[in-house]
Amino acid sequence: MITQEKYRTRVKELLASNSVKMVIGYKQGSTADRRRPLFVRSFEEADELVLDSNCIGNLAGYLVTEGLLSDEKRVGIFLRPEGIRSINILAAESQLNPEQIIIFGFDTSGREVKALQGEQAEDFSGLIDSLKEKPPEKSSDALLYRIDQMNTEERFAFWKDEFSRCIKCYACRQACPMCYCRRCIVDSNQPQWINTSSHTLGNFEWNIVRAFHLAGRCVGCGNCDRACPVNIPLRFINARMAQEVFESFDHYAGTSQTQEPVLASFNKDDSETFIL
Amino acid sequence: MTRILFSDKLDNCIARWRAAGLTVFGPVKTDTLSSYAAIEHASDFDFESVLPDRSIKDLFFPQTEPMLRYTIKKRAIDTEDFAPPNDKRIIFGARPCDASGLAIDDSLFGWDYKDEYWIQRRNESVIVSIACTKADDFCLCSSLNLAPDSSTGSDVLLRPLENNKGWVVEELTDRGHEAFLAIAELLQDGSDPIAPIAAVPEKFDLDTCVAWLQNHDNFESKFWKEISMRCIGCGSCTYLCPTCHCFDIQDEGDTYSGIRRKNWDSCSFALFTMHTSGHNPRATQSARWRQRIMHKFNYFPGKFNVNSCSGCGRCSRQCPVDMGITETLQKISTLQP
Ligand code: SF4
Ligand code: SF4
Ligand code: SF4
Ligand code: SF4
Repeated sequence: MITQEKYRTRVKELLASNSVKMVIGYKQGSTADRRRPLFVRSFEEADELVLDSNCIGNLAGYLVTEGLLSDEKRVGIFLRPEGIRSINILAAESQLNPEQIIIFGFDTSGREVKALQGEQAEDFSGLIDSLKEKPPEKSSDALLYRIDQMNTEERFAFWKDEFSRCIKCYACRQACPMCYCRRCIVDSNQPQWINTSSHTLGNFEWNIVRAFHLAGRCVGCGNCDRACPVNIPLRFINARMAQEVFESFDHYAGTSQTQEPVLASFNKDDSETFIL
Repeated sequence: MTRILFSDKLDNCIARWRAAGLTVFGPVKTDTLSSYAAIEHASDFDFESVLPDRSIKDLFFPQTEPMLRYTIKKRAIDTEDFAPPNDKRIIFGARPCDASGLAIDDSLFGWDYKDEYWIQRRNESVIVSIACTKADDFCLCSSLNLAPDSSTGSDVLLRPLENNKGWVVEELTDRGHEAFLAIAELLQDGSDPIAPIAAVPEKFDLDTCVAWLQNHDNFESKFWKEISMRCIGCGSCTYLCPTCHCFDIQDEGDTYSGIRRKNWDSCSFALFTMHTSGHNPRATQSARWRQRIMHKFNYFPGKFNVNSCSGCGRCSRQCPVDMGITETLQKISTLQP
């Protein structure tokens, strides 16, 4: 409540002084537990802002909406640490100018919400470095543990079964702040690189392509996983890729605005386990 | 006195139907998802959930459907059609909104071009609906001239008795009658009390909404942008919807042979209306959301005299950004026509 009030006041200050044209936050949704994105442009809208432990979705994807930042005006946004990491990646990949983004950082533990110190992405580098120091989630998740214990065949069978439900809605892509391509590879049809049908092959192609495109870029916000209407546990795929790039290349996605994309750069010390 | 199917006879019924060559489908729940799927025993059914996550559409209009196989030869192209499946089915425990959804799409798939895949599956399927005794905050059938005990689209309607004892049987079509002949001796006469149907409060006045949608001036209203600003265009509202019926035809294969398929498509996608030139008449997400609402409550009823929405609420239930038909129509019903 305290953080919510503090942030509402700060949003109004920024709007009153014309320092931002809009703040992207959360408001009450259609059920007690749901929060929905809110675009604040007025004091009345600022009063609708809600900040509590149910504010889960990563809102960073809205920043790359076509035309939003092209007038060079500033936009405020409510972000958890993963959201701030996505701002760093978007900046590193030249998708936005981080100086235009005013961050209302927050984190939650249990039902408690705490404000994070800082307003510009670089203010949070200490925090993000400290997250990197914690090894990537070998989470206590029972399903993740089960997947980790599987041998290759079992794991293949597990994912084949999960992917069999995929309906190729691409909600995972649309919900992902890192999937900002104006034309996704699955939408390229001259030639059609990836089958559009959601049969076994098409579903594998899609989910594997997305896993590779997210390797070293996924910040683990869980947007894809929550958006999937058929409940495929997509978070595990990307968490596993994050773990691989961390172990192989000491790469933790979104540490800075100058971080090089792991699959598009090399270092002479990179491990070469795949070169015989 | 009414005819009753008692719950403890259901396993027998299933066995009879299966013996008569019918595949029995119904609402099934797994750890990950609930949907309509083939079952073998009464215990496979999920009658507890308000409704399955996936709609009944999947059984009639699958996400991907092979239509023909082609081979390009020196001087000719050989093609071979995939015949529509010939599988007699009974879908037991359909929700009335799902059954109504089928009736809604019948008007389209049986219109100028007869979609043989849809029609064949419809002709081979008996829909046995169960009136809803449970609803959630997202259900909106009552706002759409339907109800938790609507019989539209059903061949048989079952009304649950109190304490899950069974169902009162109401045969509605010849197809339903025929399917229930096979189990006639398992039915009993009785006068057990019927459980009250679910209360689904009306959420908006549909006529007011339709009048607003029909006013051409409102096509360019600022309302569309405001209401859909948070839509991320994921399309899952259309894919879970029992009445959304858009598809795309794709050839898959190599240079000389392949399969032509009919795959779901959605007006929520930017690519849906993209021209080869690169021009897109629905360039923004708000134009796409407007299409979804206009199509369901203005264009479709204009052509077929029925709304293309049966009020199942799936679109709102699963939208990742908490949008949906209800919010939009509620807001429209407060606007000046
Ligand atoms: S959101 Fe789920 S169903 Fe949709 S394309 Fe992604 S994995 Fe498939
Ligand atoms: S309304 Fe919701 S479910 Fe539908 S396309 Fe938009 S974000 Fe996706
Ligand atoms: S538009 Fe929404 S409520 Fe209506 S039938 Fe489709 S999914 Fe159900
Ligand atoms: S709402 Fe969109 S996807 Fe659904 S039937 Fe209409 S045009 Fe097609």
